[in-house]
Amino acid sequence: MSERRFAGLTLLPGAGWLVLLFLIPLGITLAISFGVTDDLGNAVYAWRPENYSQVFDPLFVPVLLRSVGYAAATVTLCLLIGYPIAYFIARFGGKYKYLLVALVVLPFLVNYLIRVYAWVAILSDEGLINGILKDMGMTTDGVRFLNTPFAVVGGLVYGYMAFMILPVYAALDRMDSSLIEAGKDLYANGWQTFRHVTWPATFQGVLAGSVLVFLPAVGDFVSAQLLGGPDTYMVGNLIQQQFFEANNYPFGAALTTVLMAFLLIFMVFYLRSAGRASEEARA
Amino acid sequence: MSSTPAAAENAREARGGKPPKDFDRPRFLRVLMGLFLVWTFAPIAVVVLFSFNSGKSLQNFDGISTQWYSDFFGDQQLRESLIASLEIALVTMVVATVLGSLLAFGLVRSRNRLSPVTNVMMLIPLVVPEIVAGVTALLLFTQIGLRLSLTTIILAHITFSISYVTVIVRGRLAALNREVEEAAMDLGATRMQTMRLVVLPAVWPAILAAGLLTFALSFDDFVLSFFTTGEEVQPLPVRIYSSIRFGVTPTINAIGTLMMLVSISTIALALALPRILGRRGQTVLIGKDAV
Repeated sequence: MSERRFAGLTLLPGAGWLVLLFLIPLGITLAISFGVTDDLGNAVYAWRPENYSQVFDPLFVPVLLRSVGYAAATVTLCLLIGYPIAYFIARFGGKYKYLLVALVVLPFLVNYLIRVYAWVAILSDEGLINGILKDMGMTTDGVRFLNTPFAVVGGLVYGYMAFMILPVYAALDRMDSSLIEAGKDLYANGWQTFRHVTWPATFQGVLAGSVLVFLPAVGDFVSAQLLGGPDTYMVGNLIQQQFFEANNYPFGAALTTVLMAFLLIFMVFYLRSAGRASEEARA
Repeated sequence: MSSTPAAAENAREARGGKPPKDFDRPRFLRVLMGLFLVWTFAPIAVVVLFSFNSGKSLQNFDGISTQWYSDFFGDQQLRESLIASLEIALVTMVVATVLGSLLAFGLVRSRNRLSPVTNVMMLIPLVVPEIVAGVTALLLFTQIGLRLSLTTIILAHITFSISYVTVIVRGRLAALNREVEEAAMDLGATRMQTMRLVVLPAVWPAILAAGLLTFALSFDDFVLSFFTTGEEVQPLPVRIYSSIRFGVTPTINAIGTLMMLVSISTIALALALPRILGRRGQTVLIGKDAV
């Protein structure tokens, strides 16, 4: 047996598994998204495109917009906080560079659920911060932190920060730091050097980080479930409700399909701009 | 770089202007870094600290005790959940590592029409949001009439772990020096012997690391398990989630601390293993790295 034939055979079990348990389920989801529920509540294949007009019902549009808004806010905050952190580690980390990278990654190895829960323990009405505030006599009734958009976005930022810092750090670390020196030699001040040298050189890292944060944030439901409430629910919560409370699988499948389609378009745009940028860099 | 002329132009403008700002000085950044580390670690420290609190309060630390840990291990249901989580992670690790490693070998070595398609199919699960993964898995199992149980969780976990293994192992395989294999076969080794005696030892550290990572991911996973779990025995993260929704209890702090220990030590081991194993006289086999 030639090596290629042999290698072709080793491809089969994994590929077969992915077809059966990943591709076909995607197809089933698409099919069910046009389906109906029978009298027993089971999802049945049918032709009901109204599931999709229901997604864009005035009742649900705010939830969709909120999801995109929260995810965009998360990306922005991750960038505003994460970029300077990555910059500090890459440029001034010195011998502590790898230690600092490890410290950024370490909390990330802790279960996301536990990390969000930690904020519940800190921010809840009976939580740590309210306890401290009461002890200091600054409040008697306590301050309400949970159930606010700030808490939900805060949970998302806390959860996905490392996805931003790591690619930006990698881009900064790759960058030739003599470019910054050159900028200064040419009498550019700090801001100008950053604006015209550092930022363009690391833009690819920023773009990659933004996508890596945006994708999980827009589909997240844990943060909104635990740190927020019905007023801060995101599309993930809506989807989860269809499967565990409303028992409306076809509508849940339609929401999932819309989410996937949106992210697909988003990815295509990202890949195209990344491709264009690397062509420009080569030119 | 295209922006250099613009930078130079700006520099000329700036020459007569204000003195350069201290934007690039590390003092401000150092403060920010400190605050960042406090923000990152404080919540985790709170969970660990209060898991040893003797009181029930989350506000006052009354004294050290391990009662919440004995509560956890004394609770039959939670113990079952822990065992279920370990079982799921173990089976997922073994199956996904085997399938993923074979797939990696196939992708690197075969050049048939199927491999580019397979490659794309292998990469998609890595970018699919967890909730989409959960929904598709749940719909598959309900539509084919498979009762939700530990088995369905394991099937879903394996599906979304294969790609991680493939990506990691593929990196190692692609860096191998093929001439060593050719030499082995010239010396009369069969293809199987070459695989076992030459390829496998060189790739082994990567396979082990990928396996451990899979174990940690599966043990920690919440969303996929949440969608595919049955009623009777639920894995630990699902159990934690339902109890958080009914309020914060000190036992969750203890479980959280234990879970942190498991995942951090597993991943630390995954990172350390290739280095430990790689050092032991394998330089000859490793190819690219040794050059």
